[in-house]
Amino acid sequence: MPHVMISRKKCTGCHMCELACSAYHENAYRPSVARLFSEVNPTTADIKGHTCLQTGCAKCQQACPHDAIVTRRITVKPRGFFESKEKLGDTVEGYVLVVDDEKCTNCGECYEVCPTGVIHEHPDRHVAFKCDLCDGDPQCIAFCQNKYVYAVDLKIDRKDKELLKTVPGEATA
Amino acid sequence: MDFYQGKVLRIDLSRGASAVEPLNMEWAEKYVGGKGLLLRYMWEEIPPRLDPWSADNPIFVVTGPFAGTNVSTSSRLIVGCKSPVTGVLNDSYVGGSFAPELKFAGYDMIIVTGRAPHPTVVTIKDDVVEFRPAEPKYWGMKTSAVEQALREDFDPDAKVLSIGPAGENRIPWACVSTDQYHKAGRGGHGALFGDKNLKAIAIRGTGSVQVGDAKAFLADICRIHEEYILTDDNYWVHEEGTPILVDLINGAGALPTRNWSEGEFEDADKINSEAFQKIRIKKRACSQCAIACRNFHGVELGGEMVRGEGPEYETIALCGANCGIGDIAALMKFNELCDEWGMDTISSGAVLGLAMDLTEKGVKDFGVRFGDIEGYLAAPELMATRTGIGEELALGAKALAARYGVPELAMEVKNLELPGYDPRGTFGMTLSYSTSDRGGCHMRSYPVGDEIITGDEPADTMEGKAAYNINGQNFSSMKYLGIWCDFWAIDLDQMSQLLKHLWKRDVTEAELELAGERVWNLGRLFNLREGLTAADDSLPELLLTKPHKRGPAAGRVITTEAFAEKTQEYYRLRGWDENGVPTEEKLVELGVDVRL
Repeated sequence: MPHVMISRKKCTGCHMCELACSAYHENAYRPSVARLFSEVNPTTADIKGHTCLQTGCAKCQQACPHDAIVTRRITVKPRGFFESKEKLGDTVEGYVLVVDDEKCTNCGECYEVCPTGVIHEHPDRHVAFKCDLCDGDPQCIAFCQNKYVYAVDLKIDRKDKELLKTVPGEATA
Repeated sequence: MDFYQGKVLRIDLSRGASAVEPLNMEWAEKYVGGKGLLLRYMWEEIPPRLDPWSADNPIFVVTGPFAGTNVSTSSRLIVGCKSPVTGVLNDSYVGGSFAPELKFAGYDMIIVTGRAPHPTVVTIKDDVVEFRPAEPKYWGMKTSAVEQALREDFDPDAKVLSIGPAGENRIPWACVSTDQYHKAGRGGHGALFGDKNLKAIAIRGTGSVQVGDAKAFLADICRIHEEYILTDDNYWVHEEGTPILVDLINGAGALPTRNWSEGEFEDADKINSEAFQKIRIKKRACSQCAIACRNFHGVELGGEMVRGEGPEYETIALCGANCGIGDIAALMKFNELCDEWGMDTISSGAVLGLAMDLTEKGVKDFGVRFGDIEGYLAAPELMATRTGIGEELALGAKALAARYGVPELAMEVKNLELPGYDPRGTFGMTLSYSTSDRGGCHMRSYPVGDEIITGDEPADTMEGKAAYNINGQNFSSMKYLGIWCDFWAIDLDQMSQLLKHLWKRDVTEAELELAGERVWNLGRLFNLREGLTAADDSLPELLLTKPHKRGPAAGRVITTEAFAEKTQEYYRLRGWDENGVPTEEKLVELGVDVRL
């Protein structure tokens, strides 16, 4: 489905996306619980973005023994510019994977399988937390503002389109 | 508490103990953060006339209120102390990612005192502070190695402040490094770290910085970035960065060349912005900065790739033109060596340029001449380890020139070597250097901006330059409360828009101006208390009396008389007496809460 990607080549390592992400979700700046992160080696300038691929991956959902990772309909309309905007348009319809706090037992199965390392135990709430695309206005995109950079991009994959046909409206896995 | 963490971490190296105490919020109110808080704490914590090499001389690591948020450029950190080089205050600014991490660990400031009985690394993970032996592993390591080792041994996300071997060997211009290429460069903080047996402070913070209603704050910062920072006028910072200055300064005849004997460098086009863009691999940013001014370069030198961030303009000027070096690969390598050994490049280039000059003039043969790449590249290690010629070079420019009976050849103010602007090409820089509160520095007031870059001010007159520098110094003092980087041309209105979030009330431009001037005067009082006199507000005689023979600034003489007259005008306009001492009336007007 719609998901966020960080361009390894373009990212400058400013961590604005992590800061904004945490502020949006935690009502305070706390990048250690950001839903995405950019791994930066300051010496070599090697940078690797870690983001949730949502339904295109869904390994967390498959691994969850408690059906706590829920597929939810979302309309993504980023406030800021992003590389694929011209291709995708202003608005992208699709699905996002969110954690149902009521069902999550913090068993940790999903933490083990996530290939990008972006689903963890929340240090205060003790349930899993992950990227939910900020209810459709991803702050990581909003704060990747430099027009010569625009490293945080919104993508969709083929699986998304198929899912859109088969799973109308609100759905659970 | 919003923005501030309200906590100061004290590290006592002598006892191997740490303690947390509340931040003095009365001072935070009056002096805001950054430079203001630093100076107020310095006034309180440093006994008058303390020997800077005494174990009691504290090192301060200070954040600004916006570190750890989305406010671009505010992630800067100050490393501050009574400088062992100048004997006066020194606030050295550095970007990278240490300041936000310090906030996330729960502190606004660290105060390091004492001297460890053996080489030590301090690690901080939130509220857990540990003292680890630096031997045998870390002591002796270069800066990139010690950072990497601490990421492996302590925490993969650790941010590190460290010194290289130059700091361990107490080289007067040893700097403090973070994120490898970012240096709190000036004033010898690295030497003080070394003297305290402190190799590094590594920190990891997992806490949060509160800002009140975060969603409202996010929206406002998004707007501020769009309206004021990421604008067409300001994008040059990203597209080029500081190397853009090379052509401008050279074109004005103000590029220090061959130990300041000329103001124009014939090979400037080989080390200018255009040349560096050709070898640019990537743009890099400090933490929480949307601008991303840093350039990561790669170039081949003798069959080997030299890769790294920088050099920035000052390095190009002092380590390039001032050493007669127009070879971009050699300059890249020299910059890398200074970074790795842990030395400030301004002073490294200034001292080496002087040694080259002494050799060329037949005063003393240091075996290295202007433009001699082999000798040039051998120098950083020799300087950092005090071996060979390095033993004498480690005296610094002033003492080295004095030793050989040619004090006039040392380009320094208050024993801090001058950066990359020759006042003969930009007259305003005379008072900028001479009245700078930390000695020879361009970061307090910057007449270059209007005398060369915009051309709005005449560069060849002293008229109006006292007032210009006063305004600049007061303004930079405000900016360093923020702590906003020079690459955001922030104005008072924009500052007040940000401070409104901090103080939860409307902020007037007048009160900001007052805060800046208050901080500058507090710094002056500190320096006077430590023994500074008006005679120290001087400039190398040669810059005032000896005109360049060639180049765009040829024939221009500032004169000793004009400089002396404008120094007095500066004091008068500042509300200081003829000895440069702030009057009681002035201190009352500004609400400065300390007295000599």
